[in-house]
Amino acid sequence: MHLDPFELHRPTSVEETVGLARSLAGRFDYLAGGTDLLPNYKMHLNLRPHLVALEAVPELTGHSLERLGAMSRLADLERDPALAAAWPALADALREVATPLVRASGTVGGNLLVETRCFFFNQSYFWRASLGFCLKADGDRCHVVPQKTTCYATFSGDLAPALLVGDAEVEIAGPTGRRRIPLTGLYDAGGDGIRRLTLQPGELLVAVHLPPRARGRRGRYLKLRVRPAYDFPELGVAVAGRWDGDGRVQELRLAVGGAEPHPRTFDDLTAPLEGQRLNDARRAALGEEVARRVRPVHNTFLVPEYRKKMVAVFVRRALAQAEEGRAA
Amino acid sequence: MTASDPVADEPLTLLGGRIPYVEGPLKVTGRAEYTDDIRRPNQLVGRLLRSPWPHARLVSVDLREARALPGVAAVLTGERYPTPFGVLPITHDETAIAVGKARYQGDIIAAVAAEDERTAELALEKIRFEVAPLPEYADPEAGTRTVAEPIHARGLAGTNIQKEVVQHFGDVDAAFAKAAHQVRVRGSFAGVTHAFTEPLVTIAEATPDGRLTVWSATQVPHYLHRALSEVLGLPMHRIRVVKPEVGGGFGGKSDPLPHEIACAALSLETGRPVKMLLDREDVFYTNHGRHPTRNDVRIAVDGDGRILAYDVEALIDGGAWSSFGTVTTYYNGVLAMGPYRVPNFRYRGRRVYTTKPPSGAMRAHGGTNIRYSIEVALDQLAERLGLDPFELRARNALPPNSTTVNEFRITSTSFLKCLEAAKRASGWSEKFRKLPFGRGVGLGCGFYISGSNSPIHFTPKMPQSTVHLKVDMDGGIAVHSMQADIGQGSNTLLAAIVAEVLHVDLARVHVQRVDSDVSPIDLGSYSSRVTFMMGNAARSAALQLRAALVAGAATLLGIPPSEVEVGHERFTPRGRAEPAVTFEQALHQAMEKVGALTATGAYQTRPAGGSFKGARAGTAPAYSFSAYVAEVDVDVETGDYRVPKVWAAFDCGRVLNRLAVEGQIEGSVHMGLGQVMGESMNYRASRMLNPSLLEYKIPAPQQMPEVEILLVGDADPEGPFGAKEAGEGPLIATLPAVANALYDAIGCRFTELPITPDRVVRALEERRKEGRPWKGA
Amino acid sequence: MGSDDRVSFTLNDRPVQAACPPERILLDLLREELRLTGTKRGCDLGTCGCCTVLIDGRPTLSCLTLARLVEARSVTTIEGVSPAQGLSAVQRAFVELGATQCGFCTPGFVMTATALLREHPHPSRSEIEQAISGNLCRCTGYLAIVRAIESAAGSAP
Ligand SMILES: Cc1cc2nc3c(=O)[nH]c(=O)nc-3n(C[C@H](O)[C@H](O)[C@H](O)COP(=O)(O)OP(=O)(O)OC[C@H]3O[C@@H](n4cnc5c(N)ncnc54)[C@H](O)[C@@H]3O)c2cc1C
Ligand code: SF4
Ligand code: FES
Ligand code: FES
Repeated sequence: MHLDPFELHRPTSVEETVGLARSLAGRFDYLAGGTDLLPNYKMHLNLRPHLVALEAVPELTGHSLERLGAMSRLADLERDPALAAAWPALADALREVATPLVRASGTVGGNLLVETRCFFFNQSYFWRASLGFCLKADGDRCHVVPQKTTCYATFSGDLAPALLVGDAEVEIAGPTGRRRIPLTGLYDAGGDGIRRLTLQPGELLVAVHLPPRARGRRGRYLKLRVRPAYDFPELGVAVAGRWDGDGRVQELRLAVGGAEPHPRTFDDLTAPLEGQRLNDARRAALGEEVARRVRPVHNTFLVPEYRKKMVAVFVRRALAQAEEGRAA
Repeated sequence: MTASDPVADEPLTLLGGRIPYVEGPLKVTGRAEYTDDIRRPNQLVGRLLRSPWPHARLVSVDLREARALPGVAAVLTGERYPTPFGVLPITHDETAIAVGKARYQGDIIAAVAAEDERTAELALEKIRFEVAPLPEYADPEAGTRTVAEPIHARGLAGTNIQKEVVQHFGDVDAAFAKAAHQVRVRGSFAGVTHAFTEPLVTIAEATPDGRLTVWSATQVPHYLHRALSEVLGLPMHRIRVVKPEVGGGFGGKSDPLPHEIACAALSLETGRPVKMLLDREDVFYTNHGRHPTRNDVRIAVDGDGRILAYDVEALIDGGAWSSFGTVTTYYNGVLAMGPYRVPNFRYRGRRVYTTKPPSGAMRAHGGTNIRYSIEVALDQLAERLGLDPFELRARNALPPNSTTVNEFRITSTSFLKCLEAAKRASGWSEKFRKLPFGRGVGLGCGFYISGSNSPIHFTPKMPQSTVHLKVDMDGGIAVHSMQADIGQGSNTLLAAIVAEVLHVDLARVHVQRVDSDVSPIDLGSYSSRVTFMMGNAARSAALQLRAALVAGAATLLGIPPSEVEVGHERFTPRGRAEPAVTFEQALHQAMEKVGALTATGAYQTRPAGGSFKGARAGTAPAYSFSAYVAEVDVDVETGDYRVPKVWAAFDCGRVLNRLAVEGQIEGSVHMGLGQVMGESMNYRASRMLNPSLLEYKIPAPQQMPEVEILLVGDADPEGPFGAKEAGEGPLIATLPAVANALYDAIGCRFTELPITPDRVVRALEERRKEGRPWKGA
Repeated sequence: MGSDDRVSFTLNDRPVQAACPPERILLDLLREELRLTGTKRGCDLGTCGCCTVLIDGRPTLSCLTLARLVEARSVTTIEGVSPAQGLSAVQRAFVELGATQCGFCTPGFVMTATALLREHPHPSRSEIEQAISGNLCRCTGYLAIVRAIESAAGSAP
């Protein structure tokens, strides 16, 4: 399988990168590890004539306990015990992404921005042409929920939920300068499987910032998939929190990915639990409520009724396991 | 073995041990040569245009634009070589490139050869077909009735039925009437596919001397040879088929496949070498996976649990072509005839064409799905009778040297030993129904053919396997045969048998690449026939060579040949250490006047089976037997389960290469587990939804159980050194063992494969709804 | 890199330079241009690991790597880990313990295993399973592969 020709750019600074982005407006993609983009390109999904490779931009690489450069390779993060201790949910998620071979190339930035997925989208050009193209690439209808405006492709990155419960922020550089926003703000809650991000044209993800106030929360990320390797999440539940000596919740965060076009947090449900002790009933009630809100559709391997049911189980388990887990 | 067989009583020195693959060092260094590693000078790239329509009449085609594209060497459609072919001589309904209509999404409708990949693909885009869409037939059930547009004209009377088999032995209705218990299982099986790692690939090179050479990733070089000749209209002797190293097959490379012929056609057209390498997606469409199947199995037993009758129906989704389908249709019934004695048997099997990728032979072809339903049914019967599942099976075991009701000749069977070994090793009695809720053990058994008595193409008068040996001054022994090593280790076995008979170093024996110009015919790797048939042929060839060497040694020693003792690489007078003649000395003596020594060995099955229609289906010179116990551990909330351990008791006759046999069993457990746990070709109507290794769920290393292998077989009287088969049979018992273990664990029966976690959760809910408690839960 | 359609890198410890348009995939460069055919193509989409090579010592999928982006880096293929004479400890163990059947996945596994043992000379069974979980083998059921890696870990390098 070959790639169609494109022009390859290899900037060496954020400024140069953003400058290129301006001049190539709308005709390029950023290339990080390429483990998401290149398979999609091989399947002729939304090709652009230019690729801007990010691996030579020093500011994007490297990581610490406070900052993950967008180009940090998952395999490097996975091997950092201090990071794992400080951010346990993230450590769980890192180990669950794809396969070790994919993680050798895959980056944090690419993972947060990974293309949404659908059985009718992640197919070859031949396959899609034969059924009829869909809204998300080359077409004007949806094969999952028959209508012509909304795409239900699933956000399938593993790191986002784990970073959301760490109150992560993202640093973004664009033609108009830099900004820093909470990670929640990266995903367009009002959008769909196509319009899923709040990034402006040409904007570059520079780094993920991990606020010290959230460091050392106990945490857990649980992933539903058919096999313990390869598979994208059919559901991903992350939990992080602190408990006092009495087992009372001091702070609690919960996020769900792999089920809808964007990952979600549930602060309105977790905030009221602060100051309380969690027991099986409370955990179960929270799980049920989250499950009620999450609406998967049938565009992945496992049926949506099951995935929805598992939301409740995974939330309950993640809460219990996070609480049991050792704090940093 | 014959009385004059001098090695029959000698102890084995090499065979029986763990013999690393002879080509192993090449494989681990990347030096083994697979088809895609070959590049011929001035080679073109071949590409296929595939039908985007599930079913359509091809009304007209415009090739002008594609042909005009610079760099395009040839564009072909089906009319150029329309002769139908197929692996079975009686069902030639495939074409290299579709003629007149396309029958599934993925059917090949045109082929292009061009200077490079991009040009070839551009050319495909420029081919313009005008088509008339035809009705899509995704459901085999619907195809059993009269349809508006049969997929093939040869279907049964206006339907899409490709083959119907109706058999009745004894009196099934009478048996059911007097049965103490009966049970019924309706199984439903998703299609699964081989998913070998090496994609399908072929290189064809027509040369100015009027010959055509084809290198291909195939398990059946000889059948490919015949198909090429038939479709291309060239005499076989002008075609040369070469089989490089093959990266796995499992049945997926056991048909001559259309792309192989299309590739050759492009080479003939252009006079240049053409390479055709299929994408992974194309492999899913092209190779003929295990049939999606529904079966309906009823079993009657008497009060002691003795089987009185089977009544079996099967509805088999054939996809667009016949392939091995006629055999499949028989096998889904007749492979129910072991490992138990079944005095009355009725079967109705129908294989129906659908507008889906063709189904064909996959490891343990025809024996897997039917076995699943039977073994699950027996588990239910045992429970009903209050009998231990082992006891129920032992009571019904086919005895050695018996004949089944449909006239299969059973010679050796160590099935009872398999049962004993699996029961003991697994600690069954302490576990069955005694493990806590969520954990369980289950028993599944199997049997399989060790080769087929009916060779596909030739009359039974021709041998099924021939092996040539040649040894010259250098003392190296060249072995030629068209047997196809696809990773199962047949090259190693071939070399080892020769080395064993001659008592020489394995390093002296060189198995040559399969090349139809020089390799004598062996029918290839399918139906688990190679060890048995090639093994016997090799043994016989080596015995002849041995006789010549012994004669040479006898001359040098000045004693009669009958007084010569064959030692390792040396010959001595019987019972004495001296004087000794080396292998080379004996060889050179034997070569005087005649030059290089050669020998030919052949194997031919003896006639078998009854005289009724279809009687030969399933007849084999020997059968393997198995009894597996699986243990499972279920997460009863998520439905996720692990299989921590499998005890695999297997009767492959005498074990010749323990390393290879164990490798086949472990690999089979993995593949069987795949079909149970998650592998399935999913469809929306007749379009495959998951033609990728990401969405086709082959189990990961972490999902593999520990496998304890118990090889308990006695030597088979006719197998080479007593061996039978271990390539396919070991898969079968895995599936029901896991399903029955799930029942022991959670009290739920599963009749639909794969058993994915969502199905487990649903089953648990249903059981609770029925108010049927299990192990206190 | 600009308009110069070339790539320079270290391949199996030797500097190489090759013509290379931007869209060329490393696997294609290795197999088709440089004719190092030990690295296999099983899926082209990151799902089989047959194409595994080491980039700066880490096992990486060459089918998902743009060749131009290995500029100035070090690439090791199966040809580069095979000794001039005989076999490496990993390779020997693969042969002797039956961890190679059809052999098509084997170069990829050898690369993964070689890198694993450099990083963890004595990996646990679950570390091995995890490390090889991006390499697909359809023949062996992985058990012999795990045993071979354990055995290679136990023997001298
Ligand atoms: C077989 C296989 C299995 C997989 N399984 C999983 C899985 O289980 N879980 C999972 O989460 N992922 C999975 N993936 C997807 C992917 O490998 C990972 O998400 C990976 O982290 C993506 O990172 P990357 O650097 O390779 O992204 P790339 O492919 O380089 O980029 C992904 C997208 O992000 C954009 N992008 C990347 N970096 C930036 C940046 N700094 N600024 C702006 N835009 C940017 C790119 O333009 C592109 O659109 C799998 C992939 C494969 C091939
Ligand atoms: S959800 Fe609908 S529109 Fe979106 S990718 Fe799937 S089929 Fe296309
Ligand atoms: S060829 Fe690269 S992962 Fe399959
Ligand atoms: S040995 Fe055949 S795929 Fe691994």
